[in-house]
Amino acid sequence: MNKKLLSAAGLSIIAGAITATASSHREAPMIGEDQFADNTDVYAFISPGDSNKLVLVADYVPLLLPQSGPNFYRFAEDAQYDINIDNDGDAVPDWTYRYEFETAVKNGNTFLYNVGAVDSLDSPNLNVTQTYSLWKINRKDGSRQRIMSGAPVAPWNVGKRSFPNYEPVALQAIRDANGTKSFAGPRDEPFFVDLHVFDLLGVGGAPTTDGVNVMSLVLEVPITEIAKGGTRPTSSTDMTSVVGINASASRPQIRILRKGRDADDYGKMIQVSRLGWPLINEVIVPLKDKDKYNRSEPKNDVENFGAYILDPEVPKLLNLVLGAGCPATPAGGRTDIVGLLAPNGTKPADLLRINIAQGQTNAQSHFPNGRALADDVTDTLLTVACNNGGAIGDGVNANDKAFTTSFPYLASPHSGNP
Amino acid sequence: MTTRTMILVVLAVAACGRNDQRKVIARDVAVRPDLSHATQADLAVEVDQAERRGTWREVRKRWEGQRLHWTVTRHASLCASASACNVAAFPVKRPAQYGWLPGLTFAPGEYAKLDAWCGNTPSCEIEIEGTLSRLELSGELPTSVHFDRVRVLGAHKS
Repeated sequence: MNKKLLSAAGLSIIAGAITATASSHREAPMIGEDQFADNTDVYAFISPGDSNKLVLVADYVPLLLPQSGPNFYRFAEDAQYDINIDNDGDAVPDWTYRYEFETAVKNGNTFLYNVGAVDSLDSPNLNVTQTYSLWKINRKDGSRQRIMSGAPVAPWNVGKRSFPNYEPVALQAIRDANGTKSFAGPRDEPFFVDLHVFDLLGVGGAPTTDGVNVMSLVLEVPITEIAKGGTRPTSSTDMTSVVGINASASRPQIRILRKGRDADDYGKMIQVSRLGWPLINEVIVPLKDKDKYNRSEPKNDVENFGAYILDPEVPKLLNLVLGAGCPATPAGGRTDIVGLLAPNGTKPADLLRINIAQGQTNAQSHFPNGRALADDVTDTLLTVACNNGGAIGDGVNANDKAFTTSFPYLASPHSGNP
Repeated sequence: MTTRTMILVVLAVAACGRNDQRKVIARDVAVRPDLSHATQADLAVEVDQAERRGTWREVRKRWEGQRLHWTVTRHASLCASASACNVAAFPVKRPAQYGWLPGLTFAPGEYAKLDAWCGNTPSCEIEIEGTLSRLELSGELPTSVHFDRVRVLGAHKS
């Protein structure tokens, strides 16, 4: 494939206008101030080891430096992290997997995350730990089932002195409950893109997300657990053969800061971040509506943001700065993009949709039918947006670390002291 | 309290009540003008003003319930059935200035008329008359517009 590498100035201006960061990393003004609730990417693919299972990855807390001590990154205790699944095509969630976290400190009289080398999750040297409860919520009737409680979060990869053999310790955090596997913890940032847009219109093709980490939630669930009616569809063209996934984070409505003690939280949970497809809130939704997008629901995306999809800004910018030759938006608008958001007649929405019908395998799980970790979605979306018959890319075509073929599939996080 | 005092108090209260009523009526007249000839461009101007001034409630009160007559674009993929129909309020003008695509709920028989006129044409300009039943407008959530009892008055395939 002949890929047209964006010129230095071109890439910079384009991506700068899009927003500044990666797939959905700090993409809107308000969530940019709330890093721990900022979801960055969602992936969904049929399990490579068991085609009867679906793997769901929701990444949060963007662009983490490995050497970020002494308070290394974690999940927020007062946030709800949700992975939502629509199984009947109406863009309304039918199931939600909800993660809720708790933090514990063994010894508050030290500033250290760990007080000696750590060789297991049970090590007394591991001073700061997190655990979580995983709930499966039926969104139709509101019933909740706690699938896991007290499940450990993998620790931060502090460095070679603290974790002489990090990955085996981290993988001890994998839990399995009746066929549902879960992992929560730091991983290598799997999204790859050139972010040199901030260096005064810097060069193209630089792998700027190499070397940083992210906080990942990884689920592997039996497809029958989430399919409509509890049965894997037989026809791959039926609306219910496609499930729509998005991830979101919510915060309590009210926080009262106290002078003499920790803050108190009150009120219902308010969604502050959401993401289905990569780059929608970045390149489609303009600045004035980005925070509103994060607070809104996918089922209303057409009514709220449809005109931005029909008439996107990206091709204009590609032409302006690169002379990419993207054709003018047809009078009828970019209904081709709308179609990609609505496979099998589902309601168009910013949901990552994947076909789960019988016979679907990992090999077929590639964006926009789900999203594999190695999919170069930036190139795909730039190419779709421009629509000039050629391919357009950012010059970064792979992750810095290899993904694995076993759960949790994402690469081990970068060490703070390699 | 003497009888005279009581009478004065009653008169004062009554007078205040009449003033309040007049204010309410005057305010209602002021916020509910005849918008039957107003277009989506007029609404967009007011939405922009509301964003700057915080007058979302006032704008919503002015527009909700109005019977409007607009020319919009029906894209087949976004209005494939009577139960799921959104139309473009503005022609393509890269890039779009507003995200909202009004939702339509048709009067009986009207979607069939639309379907007959536009068929599967990807893009079809239609003239509609409908009641703006819901205008979501706030500093918190995105703007959205919904029409009820929509009648399709004409169509032009583009």
